[in-house]
Amino acid sequence: MTDLSGALQEPWPDLRLQREAVGLGMWFFLASEVLFFAALFCSYAIYRSFNAEAFRIAAAHTKIVYGSINMVLLLTSSLTMTVALRAATIQLRRLTLLSLGATAALGVAFLVTKGLEYYADINENLVPGPGFPLKPAATAIFWGLYWIMTGVHALHLTAGIGVVIAVMTLFWRGTIPVQGSTMEGVAIYWHFVDTVWIFLYPLIYLAGRS
Amino acid sequence: MNGSSGDHETLWRGPLLAWSALLALAAISLGSAYLPLGAGNVAVNLVIAVVMAAVLAIFLMDLRNGTTLVRIVASTGLFWMIFMFVLTFSDYLSRG
Repeated sequence: MTDLSGALQEPWPDLRLQREAVGLGMWFFLASEVLFFAALFCSYAIYRSFNAEAFRIAAAHTKIVYGSINMVLLLTSSLTMTVALRAATIQLRRLTLLSLGATAALGVAFLVTKGLEYYADINENLVPGPGFPLKPAATAIFWGLYWIMTGVHALHLTAGIGVVIAVMTLFWRGTIPVQGSTMEGVAIYWHFVDTVWIFLYPLIYLAGRS
Repeated sequence: MNGSSGDHETLWRGPLLAWSALLALAAISLGSAYLPLGAGNVAVNLVIAVVMAAVLAIFLMDLRNGTTLVRIVASTGLFWMIFMFVLTFSDYLSRG
């Protein structure tokens, strides 16, 4: 059953080291991703520290039901992704494919929910520019950051869904074996996108509720 | 398939525990946001977010079993992010 010939790549002597190398490479990439998102979070922190009341007023108009549903969807997708990785490591091909399918489906459900939320936001004119309904003017800063931060996060999630579907297809066709190192990188990236949402959720949806 | 039922059990148990903890923390964060704590609201929310991120990184991203090298690289992003926040805030907060 152990098909090492297809899973093991040069120059690794064993799969454990190969997986570790893929994980390490992904963590290097994620360190740069952390800084990319940190710049946005830092802007948010600066503007909020100078416009606390405006941010409170603006954040009260976010759709907390959609935000909370998406929190549950993403956390659950991290669960299925972890199961997929563990199943792949011990060569449970069917469980790997099923868990990856569930992960991609939960990701799509997140995007659909986000789409409904964006639709509701646009209907309320919550886009900075002419006709923006909130006062004072600094509320537009919050909503500008809302669109950029959730938009960039959604792009990352879309990329993640694409990768998960691509990997599923490769596993399905048997192009690459499930127990190789591929899942290691995919899983870490997916969890990172979830982590970004863990910080977006309180800053965007929970601010201004009390 | 060559996984025994024992494999299945250990495969699900850890992730399910982490997932339950994450959901519970998210619920606490949501509930706390409606309490009138003033500036304490964002503090509580962010502390919970940090704990959630830690649970995710340690148990689901498996830094628990990671090598020292992987852990160091994983913490570099955090390290440089702290510099970004400290230097940016030291500028804005010290302006006249």
